[in-house]
Amino acid sequence: MYGLLSMEITNQDCDFTRIEAMRNRMYHRKATICAQRAEIITASFQKHEEDPIVIKRAKAFADILDQMDIYIEQDTLIAGNQASRNFAAPIFPEYSIDWIIEELDEFDKRSGDAFSIDEETKEKLRKIAPYWKGKTHQDEVLKNLSPINRLAEQQGVLHRGGISMSGDGHIIPNYEFVLANGFGGMREIAKQHLQNDQDLSEEQIAFYEASIITMDAALRYCKRFAKRAKEEANACGDVKRKSELLDMSQMFAHLMEGKAQSFYEAVETVYLVHLLMMIESNGHSFSFGRFDQYMWPYYEKDRANGMLSKEKALELITHFFIMTNSLNKVRPWDHTQYSGGYPLYSNLMVGGMKPDGSDGTNDLSYLCLEAMALTGLPEPNLSARFFAGSDHAFMKDVARLIRKGFGMPSIFCDEVCIPAMMSLGLKEEVAREYASMGCVETAIPGRWGHRATGMTYVNFGKIIELVMYNGYDPSTGIQLVKLNGEAGKAIHYQSYEEVFAAWETLLRYYTDLAIDCDLVCDRALKYHDADAFASSTVNCCLARGKTLKNGGAEYDYVSSSNIGPSVVGDSLAAIKKLVFEEKKLTLEQLQDAMLHNFAGLEGAKIRKLCKNAPKFGNDDDYVDQIVADVYESYLKLLPLYHTDRYGKGPIGCTYTMSTSNITSYVPNGFDVGATPDGRLATMPLNEGCSPCLSADKEGPTAVINSVSKLPNQKMAGGQLLNMRFTPGALAGEDNLEKFTCFMEAGRKKNIFHNQFNIVDSETLKKAKAHPEDYPDLMVRVAGYCALFSTLMPEAQDAIIARSEHDWR
Amino acid sequence: MTGDKALISKIQRYSTKDGPGLRTTVFFMGCSLRCNWCANPETLSAKPQVYYFKERCQHCGLCVQAGNGAISFDQVGCLIDRDHCQNLAEMVELCPFDAYETVGMWKSAEELAEILLKDQTFYESTGGGVTFSGGEAALQSAFVLHCAKLLKQHGIHICLDTAGYVSWEHLDALSDVVDLILYDIKAFDPLIHKRCTGYSNEKILDHFIRLVQKKVPMRVRMIVVPDQNDDVQDLKARIDFVAKHRDCVEQVDLLNYHIYGIGKYEKLGMIYPLADQRSAADDSLKWLLEYGEAKGLRMTIGG
Repeated sequence: MYGLLSMEITNQDCDFTRIEAMRNRMYHRKATICAQRAEIITASFQKHEEDPIVIKRAKAFADILDQMDIYIEQDTLIAGNQASRNFAAPIFPEYSIDWIIEELDEFDKRSGDAFSIDEETKEKLRKIAPYWKGKTHQDEVLKNLSPINRLAEQQGVLHRGGISMSGDGHIIPNYEFVLANGFGGMREIAKQHLQNDQDLSEEQIAFYEASIITMDAALRYCKRFAKRAKEEANACGDVKRKSELLDMSQMFAHLMEGKAQSFYEAVETVYLVHLLMMIESNGHSFSFGRFDQYMWPYYEKDRANGMLSKEKALELITHFFIMTNSLNKVRPWDHTQYSGGYPLYSNLMVGGMKPDGSDGTNDLSYLCLEAMALTGLPEPNLSARFFAGSDHAFMKDVARLIRKGFGMPSIFCDEVCIPAMMSLGLKEEVAREYASMGCVETAIPGRWGHRATGMTYVNFGKIIELVMYNGYDPSTGIQLVKLNGEAGKAIHYQSYEEVFAAWETLLRYYTDLAIDCDLVCDRALKYHDADAFASSTVNCCLARGKTLKNGGAEYDYVSSSNIGPSVVGDSLAAIKKLVFEEKKLTLEQLQDAMLHNFAGLEGAKIRKLCKNAPKFGNDDDYVDQIVADVYESYLKLLPLYHTDRYGKGPIGCTYTMSTSNITSYVPNGFDVGATPDGRLATMPLNEGCSPCLSADKEGPTAVINSVSKLPNQKMAGGQLLNMRFTPGALAGEDNLEKFTCFMEAGRKKNIFHNQFNIVDSETLKKAKAHPEDYPDLMVRVAGYCALFSTLMPEAQDAIIARSEHDWR
Repeated sequence: MTGDKALISKIQRYSTKDGPGLRTTVFFMGCSLRCNWCANPETLSAKPQVYYFKERCQHCGLCVQAGNGAISFDQVGCLIDRDHCQNLAEMVELCPFDAYETVGMWKSAEELAEILLKDQTFYESTGGGVTFSGGEAALQSAFVLHCAKLLKQHGIHICLDTAGYVSWEHLDALSDVVDLILYDIKAFDPLIHKRCTGYSNEKILDHFIRLVQKKVPMRVRMIVVPDQNDDVQDLKARIDFVAKHRDCVEQVDLLNYHIYGIGKYEKLGMIYPLADQRSAADDSLKWLLEYGEAKGLRMTIGG
């Protein structure tokens, strides 16, 4: 299962046995909770009550880095830890703590994403909780959220996502800049601004001071590792390991005082920056951007000097990949259902064109694929870009990796993604630099603000249900909109156009509320997520003296996430065909059957009609066009809205569309009653832009053809397609070649992104029944990978129900 | 055929085993042979068939009521007396739970070509195309010719999958249009052939030679079913025969027997002739592969 794809090994520089041991340890890692960060930040905040928030947070960051336990993972060449143990989740009480206290005794009992926690840790957390009462980000959000938003949430139309109670994350630092300047250089830039800039505002002064504090702290953190490595070296009996530790000690002693001096230093730095951002705040989707591009100069130089072999580079990348799995995040249970499998969504992108349009694929692109072939762990979330100019050999290695069944890499097609980015008004050479931030959300690395994709989820499935009841929600009795002007669920649509107009009315209404919710969260985060360290790594923040949330970034676009566009399209198609064209059903009959979840013989007859109506994913223009209309209705709406940063500096500050909706299609389904497409109440909605579960009957080419008819080149927030093949479908050289060409055809067919699970249903069923036998079965969930055994049962079922494509 | 329409059981997109690249395979209904191991029994008859999925049945009783005594409740699903049921096709519409499904759709050559062209990008990217299979596609040569000509206007690569048991005129005309013939040779010995397929194979072997003489590119497909047509001498004779005419044979695909068709028999209310049949071991054809290679043939297992 694990093993190299196509690389030929010519020396002993990469220790494969050690990688195997490290990988196995990481597979059997146990998620725990660590109270250390929470305790330190509480003490630090108490000490610095009077400081501006950005400085208070910077000082807390410094205290954490100075005081937290550090360790070097066994065997590793890449060091740095987020919490006191491997895979322990630190706690961020400043964002929210009520749920933590409430769930303390539940963490280890969860059906998915369990965390073990000891009594001592619980006690420590309970002890600090009173300090945060009324002071957290979540407290502020809840204070400012309008009652009507809460009603929309009760209906199940809106779901307040992570940024209502945690940091944002979703940053790709400008790694080229960070590697060229080091923390020392970045500190110097902040100092120069403080010294030389005229008329600095208090906000700017505070930002620069905070930036300096965080850079100093990061450098001290490095020096702690220099000392630690030396101590371990002194105690180490193994000659090779001792020398490695001594090398590490030397490296850490000067690391990031200035420019990275070697490929090794550059890899270590990238990992450290990532890790430090995840100590500073608790968002997720901190991503690596185009690793093969910004690392290339360091690789090339060391290779030319004879200081680095390809094998050694592979070893370093592999260790780096493994270490990204030592990090963790704990979310409240209701959010966990939206994002099962301990995901961090740390996307790392390889391949694709350079800004000048030539092929950027290089040795490192291949080495990253090889590193993933050796590790097969959920992080980083590896993605590959390709275009007409990509080498077939690269795509073949991509296919070989996909064949291994880790669900990676997901693939992005430049010819679709670049025009999508340009639809925001970006210049072509800028758009060509895109990378994925998290799952499929595309952004320009180092130039983009936090991208809070989908942080207020809009449940499209629920909206189409409400359309069928005049805006009335049968399960809660709440009616926020009376579509026909009268209270109650009666509907009298005279034509399909009226139904579609009702859809658009409700969509507008609930999107207004969703954006309001985003704004409430964002305004609170301006204060609570004042992240001087992370902001300093993104273009324009240091120049402007502003954090990202205050408008520091060069560009700022947020994509609103929606769940269930295929359910909506399939439902509209059923209504159009059965009610208005063939007149086999009246609206009343359909509504009544839905209300009773298609129960009874009459219900079954109606459901049969609904199920046999055209379904998206079968290359049927009738319904595919309707699904495209659903997308267009949202694409038309979103640019009308502004983010909180509008007019404060960044270019853009508007909304765009994304179908990156992680596992939310499962819990969102819980809230939706029966729908006109024949879907039963509480069943999952569709994932991303994929067809509804098991609705696609014509095989993968038909799925691609259906998706190709969607406005993919306007989906600047990312379009998520997920397909499942049996392992036999990729077995053998001939099949591999066909699969490679199949991906290539998808690119020509206007597919934004595609990801593949290579596992058969039988295996999944067995793994669900006997998780202990399948600790390393990784699946692509929705834009990211997770170990199957860590998912909750409903999410497991949804993956099993995905159409399985086999060779025939 | 009614008018200029043909009865088709399935249009299978993304086929990978029916010729080069990714293909769409069209399964025509109606067959001139009756192979004991047939994996597509729904294509034997040239009339629409009805599948019955008993696990979908909810015992609502609608079909029992409508069946005039030919349908009765069973423990799971219903028992259908197909010999006496006059209105089975009506159950497809009647059953609220989709336990009945029709197999067989009438398509004109134009309708079919439109569907087949949908995957043109995939054919082009993978060196694939369209395969006419069945049943016996060559039985409907006029229709296939018509459709093939429509596809040829778009430069589509076309395969004909045939067992050759049709009149020479049909094969002759088709071989002028298609790019590649997948030619089944199910046995060399006429007696074995007759025992396994119901008919002797003189015509099949003769047609093969004629196609070779016409220099029609071919891939030969040889199914091997344990205890049916796996006699060692006969297998060698099949290979020897092909090797003798190998100029036009670009590849020989050895096809291992599988039992995937068994569920279809049950759904069609048919008896599976090889009910106790064992599957072959995965590597049981390796020797034959090597035997063929030694004779200068390009061999595969599975295609």
